[in-house]
Amino acid sequence: MSDEDKVWPTGLNLKEAEEVHSYLIDGTRVFGAIALLAHLLVAVSTPWLG
Amino acid sequence: MLNYRKFALRRLASLSTKYLPFADVASEKVPLSQLLRLSLFQVTVGMALVLLVGTLNRVMIVELNVPASLVAGMLALPLLFAPFRTLIGYKSDTHVSALGLRRIPYIWKGTLAQFGGFAIMPFALLVLSGYGEAVDAPRWIGYSSAALAFLLVGAGVHMVQTIGLALATDLVEEEEQPKVVGLMFVMLLAGMVVSALVYGALLEAYSPGRLIQVIQGSAVVTVALNLFAMWNQEARSRERAAQMEVAPPPLPFSEAMSTLLAQPNMLRLLLVIALGTFGFGMADVLLEPYGGQALGFSVADTTKLTALLAAGTLAGFGIASRSLAAGGSPENMAMYGAAIGIPGFAAIILSSLGGGSPMFLIGTLITGLGAGLFGHATLTASIRRAPKDRIGLALGAWGAVQATAAGIGVALAGIVRDAILSTQDAGSPDHAPYNVVFTIEILFLALAIFLVLPMAFRARRARAEVFRTRKTTIQTHSAEVS
Repeated sequence: MSDEDKVWPTGLNLKEAEEVHSYLIDGTRVFGAIALLAHLLVAVSTPWLG
Repeated sequence: MLNYRKFALRRLASLSTKYLPFADVASEKVPLSQLLRLSLFQVTVGMALVLLVGTLNRVMIVELNVPASLVAGMLALPLLFAPFRTLIGYKSDTHVSALGLRRIPYIWKGTLAQFGGFAIMPFALLVLSGYGEAVDAPRWIGYSSAALAFLLVGAGVHMVQTIGLALATDLVEEEEQPKVVGLMFVMLLAGMVVSALVYGALLEAYSPGRLIQVIQGSAVVTVALNLFAMWNQEARSRERAAQMEVAPPPLPFSEAMSTLLAQPNMLRLLLVIALGTFGFGMADVLLEPYGGQALGFSVADTTKLTALLAAGTLAGFGIASRSLAAGGSPENMAMYGAAIGIPGFAAIILSSLGGGSPMFLIGTLITGLGAGLFGHATLTASIRRAPKDRIGLALGAWGAVQATAAGIGVALAGIVRDAILSTQDAGSPDHAPYNVVFTIEILFLALAIFLVLPMAFRARRARAEVFRTRKTTIQTHSAEVS
């Protein structure tokens, strides 16, 4: 394994870092979508702001 | 200059791997504490099952006044995902990752789905039941969001269980596998029993706020337990990542599936699993009302009945673990399990025909024992049959068959009972519809035994062959020595 593409400071190489990052991105998207949906449903049953 | 950089690097390097979500090296021998931790994912699976089949079933009908047919339809939705377990297992087997991971990403995705489903479920149910302003909202919002919530939880459960079992199988040597299977089953049972008690106590005084707290609390507990379970379990490996990268494109799913099914007796084993699980599963929901209606048990008594069934099942897991780890054949054990179930159900039927409650209690205990033996043995058999690189697929096939059969069994048991109940005139006894179902179960178990019999015989003959050759080699060896 060549050392050039290691990413500071984790010691992961570029591909590995990108994979870890993809999990973060996916997780954020899913959590965001869930939160949005949950808020919509709450607003339907007990509307706030008017 | 830049001293901080060096400092930070050294600190990071000195951090032990216990702070990382993946193990650094795959150790030869996995300690029991690590396996116990891994088995926590089964607790979340049990929790979700109890919430769906038991708690929400009652809450939706009694407290939320949702029509029973709609509730049944919603709760059947997760079943639709069961066949996809094979696909998930296959995807995990052939997963390509720069970190060399195969199982953890899927357990994480499954956990996310479980969490997401639980997070929106209480609001979806409240909208579905027309709570607050939701009365004026269009109906489709409630239907579709509740359906989505149940689908998400179901998909998450199937994913977590399939891949979690595959990871556990990856981690241990073949002779240890029966113990791990036993551990997984025990944790599932423990999760179901404990969460049933907890949900029952928490939802005693029902309010919409309490429903939201309980279900969303389950979501948080699910994520916490699953994270704790998968932490540090799968080794990160650059070598495996490199292998994954250069590996030829895997066999397409249909071909991988047909090679798995082409293995000797695989199809027969799956059929046995379906028949036996169906046979044992039909009783689960009927034992309590049967005790109440046919034998006059009180509500508290029928709860103890469930405990008795669980105790029998637990004993079955223990016996199967011990005997299979000592080298017994899983096919034989599956046959014994199904064979024990038949007198169990016979005793349950006889109890309402004059045998009385002792007969019923013995029958319940024996049935639990049989179900424990059968479940453990068939899962062990599936794992043993799986080629090393197809463990996910094999466990997916087991899970798909098992979950579908159990789900259909539970649903059909209720339907058959209600159908007979509605055609029955007032004069006939209370126990008649139940006894019809129990008789059907005996028939299915007999079919399962009929199918597994040749496999058990073959396994026994193979074992005898092994012993004979071993004996002769020892004899010739000692003859040479002397």
